[in-house]
Amino acid sequence: MICWSCQKQAGTAPLCAACGALQPPDDAADLFAVLGQPARHAIDLPATEAAYKEMSRQVHPDRFATADPRARRASLARTVQLNLAWQTLRDPIKRAEYLLLRAGIDVAEKKASTGNSDKGTHKVAAPPAFLLEILELNDDLAAAKRAGDTVKVAFMAEEMRTRARESMTAIAAALDAGAPGKLEEAARSLVALRYYQRFLDQASDGDGGGGAD
Amino acid sequence: MAEALFQIAEPGQSRSKHACRTRAVGIDLGTTNSLVAIVDAGKPTALADEHGETIVPSVVHYGGDGGVVVGADARDRLAVDFPRDTIASVKRFMGRGPRDAEATRKLTPYQFFQGAGDQSVVRFAVAGPRAVTPMEVSAEILRVLRARAEEALGGPLQGAVITVPAYFDDGQRQATRDAGRLAGLEVLRLLNEPTAAALAYGLDKQAEGTFAVFDLGGGTFDVSILKLEEGVFEVKSTGGDSALGGDDFDRAIAEALLAQAGAVDTADAHVVRRALDAARALKEALTVRTEVSVEVPFSPGRTATLRLTRDEMEALVMPVLQRCAAPLKRALADAGVERGHLSGVILVGGATRMPLVRRFVAEWFGQEPLADIDPDQVVALGAAVQADMLAGGAGSDDVLLLDVVPLSLGLETMGGVAEKLIHRNTTVPCGAKQTFTTFADKQTGFDLHVVQGERELVAECRSLARFTLKGIPPMPAGMARLEVTFMVDADGILRVSAREETTGQEAAIEVKPSYGLTDDEVERMILDSLAHGEEDVKARLLAEQRVEADGIVAAARAAMRDAPELLEDGERNEIEGALAAVETARAGSDHHAIRTAIETLDHASKPFATRRMNKALEKGFRGRDVDAVDVKLKKVGGKK
Repeated sequence: MICWSCQKQAGTAPLCAACGALQPPDDAADLFAVLGQPARHAIDLPATEAAYKEMSRQVHPDRFATADPRARRASLARTVQLNLAWQTLRDPIKRAEYLLLRAGIDVAEKKASTGNSDKGTHKVAAPPAFLLEILELNDDLAAAKRAGDTVKVAFMAEEMRTRARESMTAIAAALDAGAPGKLEEAARSLVALRYYQRFLDQASDGDGGGGAD
Repeated sequence: MAEALFQIAEPGQSRSKHACRTRAVGIDLGTTNSLVAIVDAGKPTALADEHGETIVPSVVHYGGDGGVVVGADARDRLAVDFPRDTIASVKRFMGRGPRDAEATRKLTPYQFFQGAGDQSVVRFAVAGPRAVTPMEVSAEILRVLRARAEEALGGPLQGAVITVPAYFDDGQRQATRDAGRLAGLEVLRLLNEPTAAALAYGLDKQAEGTFAVFDLGGGTFDVSILKLEEGVFEVKSTGGDSALGGDDFDRAIAEALLAQAGAVDTADAHVVRRALDAARALKEALTVRTEVSVEVPFSPGRTATLRLTRDEMEALVMPVLQRCAAPLKRALADAGVERGHLSGVILVGGATRMPLVRRFVAEWFGQEPLADIDPDQVVALGAAVQADMLAGGAGSDDVLLLDVVPLSLGLETMGGVAEKLIHRNTTVPCGAKQTFTTFADKQTGFDLHVVQGERELVAECRSLARFTLKGIPPMPAGMARLEVTFMVDADGILRVSAREETTGQEAAIEVKPSYGLTDDEVERMILDSLAHGEEDVKARLLAEQRVEADGIVAAARAAMRDAPELLEDGERNEIEGALAAVETARAGSDHHAIRTAIETLDHASKPFATRRMNKALEKGFRGRDVDAVDVKLKKVGGKK
């Protein structure tokens, strides 16, 4: 890439190899690569966080508050990308979704794509039998809440938490296994996990009572 | 101001001037009070006026002669006589439309300008007659702070960091930035107030760990949870209520006072102003005393005896304070932190001086809160540190501030549902893209409605802006692909752009708030103020000095009347001479001459003032306390 400031070859680092001016990011860059991490689910979180903060120190808009407008734009775009990368990689579910998206499987919640493009991706839906089971569990939960049976609500929530935890472990293993069939399995589990999460939100909704205490 | 002459023993301290420092300042533009601070020799310092006073009350008076008075004189004298022309707590109206204003209008003495139908910004109708926007009122306060800083630094400013409540939405942030521009400031950054406080604490106290900042000011409540670690100040979550503060305590007390006096229905602007001022004075007095009783003349021939104990006051205030609990709970949940696991709770804001508030915080968090940096100054000090770093001062490479979006940002989709593109507590700057499609055949335009808030339905979120992308060729429903990009910068301000992918048709806007100024309006106001800049400054200085002269003359006369026995031989003549000189200078139009005469009077009356002060002190702590309360309340009800 040609540096906007000195018109020489800037190289691939954030700062131009020739003059040191901050370069805009590559919008299509892989988010794992942005933070210098291998693209797999089992990542070294503390190292990733350290990399995120170290890079933020270099490119953050606070460093460029009085700089050339082009450097300021580059700083803003770089930091937006860094923040997106860290936000995606730090969260196990988002990290899993992103790994699948890279492999062409879109499990994003929305009807429309949130990625760079939805060309060439295909979507995954939960099997009807699973949906029926979840529906029943939700009904049971609602009934227990209506009856004020807090013990049952807590018990159901604990059971669901265990299920969600096991599911997450399985997803992580499937994603890093490297076999094509495994990715489909991980995708289905991820969709299921979203229903577990919604169930847990329902279970904890309103259990805190008044905030005044 | 008047009392200062007789209460403050030391005159304003001279300020040192260093050559090797940045000329960037931090400004806390508060609901009740505002301050400006700089970093001097590596230490943040709030700048004081010639009386040693760092605080500028955020009160702006518009005179019938076109003059503007800002600060203590506006609050203590002019607000009483001209409640409609003296705007206090303008921050509550920032980025708000006429309909929002209606909601906060309960028990305010202001009159709102009823203009043409397309008025999208609140305008106060004040003397002149003029219609001023909240941004213009705030700009008046900022100009005073700017002048103070330029004098201290001996030249024009490089720029300013202005603080905003963390919970301010996009419209309120833009309004604040516009106010800065109107005041001729280069706004380097809008900084969230709790983050500023944490920055000041973290650097001064070398604090590390996870902290909560509890910021209860005059009109806003913020809570932020931050992780402080090796120079990184990372906001984990933020929450609050941008319409909850000490003002609401005052209002609750004032309503009770009016009810007690049986004057609720007959209250006009003057009575409301007096009731609010009496409430504030009572609240402050009850911070140290347990009971206060006072006569307040509500109108000519109508005096009410009002008595309030601290317990009663706390009972009035408690329901308002309880409103802090829900945002506190949510902020902790969003940060994933347990109440008991915090390294500390930092208190910010004038309202946290109240014993009730401190008790509430201590009980809620289960630990004694930290208040070792003055809660009134800490935000401005933190802003000064940030300003210095942005301008390239020392330490800028060591510190990293990571702040968040306080409220989710989204777009209206089918059925009035808000589709969130950026969720609350996302680290800024941040961006998001989403693709939408058409729902009708041959649809040639997209209407985009940008909203902010946590609710599912658009009607319950705040509307930020609407814009239209036109020129799409007719296609069957669902064929067009509209990619919308949201981008939030480091100030927390949103830009939206949209692009139709099949045709490449584009539209980009910086979201102008539904209740804000257009760029043209801001430009015009800036040009207007430049054209009249010189005269404005002179007129203002003159008006301020005249007001101050009036106050001092009145106070000196009253003091000589009250305590003639403390005057020594010849002293009366000397003071009378100085008084006459002030009055002569006041009649002229040279503000320097008035200033000089005031200083001469100050000097001549100082021994007398000191004796009076000592006498008051001899009465002991309790006695002085009563005295102070009397003075405050006299000012409230003194004029007819």
